[in-house]
Amino acid sequence: MELKSDIEDTLTQQKQQKQEQQQEQHHFHVLAVDDSLIDRKLLEKLLKVSSCQVTCVESGDKALEYLGLLDGLECDATLSSSSFSSTQSSKQEGLRVNMIMTDYCMPGMSGYDLLKRVKGSSWKDVPVVLMSSENVPSRISMCLEEGAEEFLLKPLQLSDLEKLQPHLLKSIDHSCENNTKSNKDKNVDDDNNNCKSNNKLSKRKAMSPETPERRPKLKGLAVL
Amino acid sequence: MDAVSQLQSHFISYTSNLYGEGFVDDQFYQLQKLQDGSNPDFVIEVVSLFFEDSEKLINNMARALESQATLDYKQVGDHVHQLKGSSSSIGASRVKDVCNGFKTHCEAQNHEMCLRCLQRLKYECNLLKMKLQTLFKLQQQILAAGGSVPLLDK
Repeated sequence: MELKSDIEDTLTQQKQQKQEQQQEQHHFHVLAVDDSLIDRKLLEKLLKVSSCQVTCVESGDKALEYLGLLDGLECDATLSSSSFSSTQSSKQEGLRVNMIMTDYCMPGMSGYDLLKRVKGSSWKDVPVVLMSSENVPSRISMCLEEGAEEFLLKPLQLSDLEKLQPHLLKSIDHSCENNTKSNKDKNVDDDNNNCKSNNKLSKRKAMSPETPERRPKLKGLAVL
Repeated sequence: MDAVSQLQSHFISYTSNLYGEGFVDDQFYQLQKLQDGSNPDFVIEVVSLFFEDSEKLINNMARALESQATLDYKQVGDHVHQLKGSSSSIGASRVKDVCNGFKTHCEAQNHEMCLRCLQRLKYECNLLKMKLQTLFKLQQQILAAGGSVPLLDK
């Protein structure tokens, strides 16, 4: 009986994966960066349960490589305009990253360094979330000031991902109004404007890890 | 009481004990919450990864502490920090606590206390491994008997 339900589960999973691939445009894609294998696995699961597509990499360098920023080909922030940014992303054949989540403390390039590199590149409008096992207020302020969207304390739980839902919802809503790539940056700019007012809130939340509120989980949010 | 109820009852008291004795904390419960039909072995996979990882890290710590050359406390501290992170992520709270103490002794460069922490770490990891293996076995027995595994928090 168990074996049969395993097969059924696998088939369902394959079907779901296929549907997901077809609806790729409408799913939030997160780039997760962490040197710890266990934390990557946990984060991947948390994101999948929250209906996100995930790509995991183990270092800041690998993240930059993925984003096409490693060989010094990143564009100057002053040069970027929405048309340039979409050229940069189409360089990767339609690579779309809606959010970057990175560990702070990593060997080699730290999450903070990665944050700075991203914010100084054509990917600057992508929200970056920092994570750390240590609650160091000065570290948190530093990251928020550098443009981090949120600073989450490890270990991560579903409720932390729920904090990121506003970014998710806005991004999916906007990508539904217009499916063209050039609108992507405009939408993310709107997100940034809304997120700036959220930054103070997230700073407080990061300093007190126990969040009493538990918003209902919005599972299976696939907006067509 | 039928077989399933008996097993479930045993499972419930075993789980309570794990939380009560501080072997695991709320984060372990959070892991259980993430497991679903599409990935029914998620918790076992993560826990297995943890024990592979902890064994490697503990061996690295042992090598560094027992080296005849100059002891690199920073290196030991880095391994401890990694283990602290992963134990925290899976809710292995006793292991995490030992790591906290260990880190302090690395910073103080106290060789004697570091060695003691290393021994303690080995002990706690082995103990937790046995406890969780028993827990997973109980889960499998419940499922094999046609029952469902209750999801329990602290």
